Amino acid sequence: MSKTYVVPEDIKDANNLEAKLEHLKNIKRSFNVFRVDCGSCNGCEIEIFAAITPMWDPERLGFKLVASPRHADILICSGPVTRQMYYPLLRAYEATPDPKVVVAIGACGSSGGIFHDAYSVWGGIDKVIPVDVYIPGCPPHPATIVHGLASALGILEQKLEYKEHKDGSNDSPVLEDSLLGNILFERDVLVEAKRLMSYYFGRKLYEKYINALKNTSDIKDIKKTKKVIEIYSSEEEDSRYEECMQKLHNNVYLKYMKQFVIINDEDKFII
Amino acid sequence: MKLLDMTKKYGSATHKYPLEPYEVFDGFRGKPSYTYENCIGCTACGVACPSNAINVKLNKENTKLVWEFDAARCIFCGRCDEVCPTSAIVLSKEFELAVKFDKNSLKERGELDVQYCEVCNKPFTTKKLISYNLNRLQKAGWDKNSLDTKVKYIRTCTDCKRNHEVENLTSNFKRGTK
Repeated sequence: MSKTYVVPEDIKDANNLEAKLEHLKNIKRSFNVFRVDCGSCNGCEIEIFAAITPMWDPERLGFKLVASPRHADILICSGPVTRQMYYPLLRAYEATPDPKVVVAIGACGSSGGIFHDAYSVWGGIDKVIPVDVYIPGCPPHPATIVHGLASALGILEQKLEYKEHKDGSNDSPVLEDSLLGNILFERDVLVEAKRLMSYYFGRKLYEKYINALKNTSDIKDIKKTKKVIEIYSSEEEDSRYEECMQKLHNNVYLKYMKQFVIINDEDKFII
Repeated sequence: MKLLDMTKKYGSATHKYPLEPYEVFDGFRGKPSYTYENCIGCTACGVACPSNAINVKLNKENTKLVWEFDAARCIFCGRCDEVCPTSAIVLSKEFELAVKFDKNSLKERGELDVQYCEVCNKPFTTKKLISYNLNRLQKAGWDKNSLDTKVKYIRTCTDCKRNHEVENLTSNFKRGTK
């Protein structure tokens, strides 16, 4: 959708950077926040309310939610701006006394997020009204919200910067040598580990399993490796790791050892 | 005053965050951190990304493969982390993501050299991916001499490979015979 709202001249003049910095000096440790929900999924709202609980207590910085945009210094807008919320957002924006700080919260608020190309949304607050602070996250962690508000007030500085990488070498990244002399073994272990325990725990499981195999005296002796894996897996506090390490051993390691030795049933773990 | 006594007794649960650093828990899904040295340009992350926060495209002159990440659109699902074969992209614990005024500071960009097809001279992958594949084939038990004879085949795009295979298969047949 094309931009149709043009910020009126008087609001534009009253909202320049100098006026905002002057305003920030004046409000110091007391600022009122009005929250506009422009079609968000409520995830961001939940996190905003998590951020104003005593756990984070932004009231020590002066944060206060108000019920009317006429009382507000800061507008927090969430959601990808659906067609129905277009005019209410503009009304809230124009009703807020100048100078005002507009904060776009969440992935949807800052760029449309996962709805960026949907037909019924504008795709971000900045497509409609000028935005001062972007808080990405889906939803943002309360600490991210506190950081965003603190950086809007000038307490903290922003950490991110535009990064560009260029002219790297065309050499392959360094690869470790395989334990069995075939790198496909490591690949299959990683894939199976991620299948069993998802990416984060799967990576940990992979490291644990490979570490256990490395500590075997003879890696191609299936009796010895079984004993080592048994010891290592029984040491795990989390029983998921124990079960999944044994499954990895059954499904992947023994599959690769099939070409060297005959596998009997007693070489497998019974799960 | 009673309340103050009670807080003294039980301690304060409030995080001191903006004044003191805050440590997020293990497994926190923060901003995906990108290691340019490890990236081979396989575009797995771009395919997996549900919100198109990661875009991998050729530039206009077809000279570079451009990897672009926009943190404003990222929904922190971790799928890029899951599919990355070289761990070039890993979800970090970085949570202080707010930026002021300029949305461009949320972006990250990396450029990789493009490999052209040896037959039709069309850009089809990156040079780094080819060298990575050769390296991996060596580790998977291929010897270097037999690999050297196949380098030309590896540097051919999929369309040309298919045509080549079809030609090989059908060269022995004449038209109209079975």
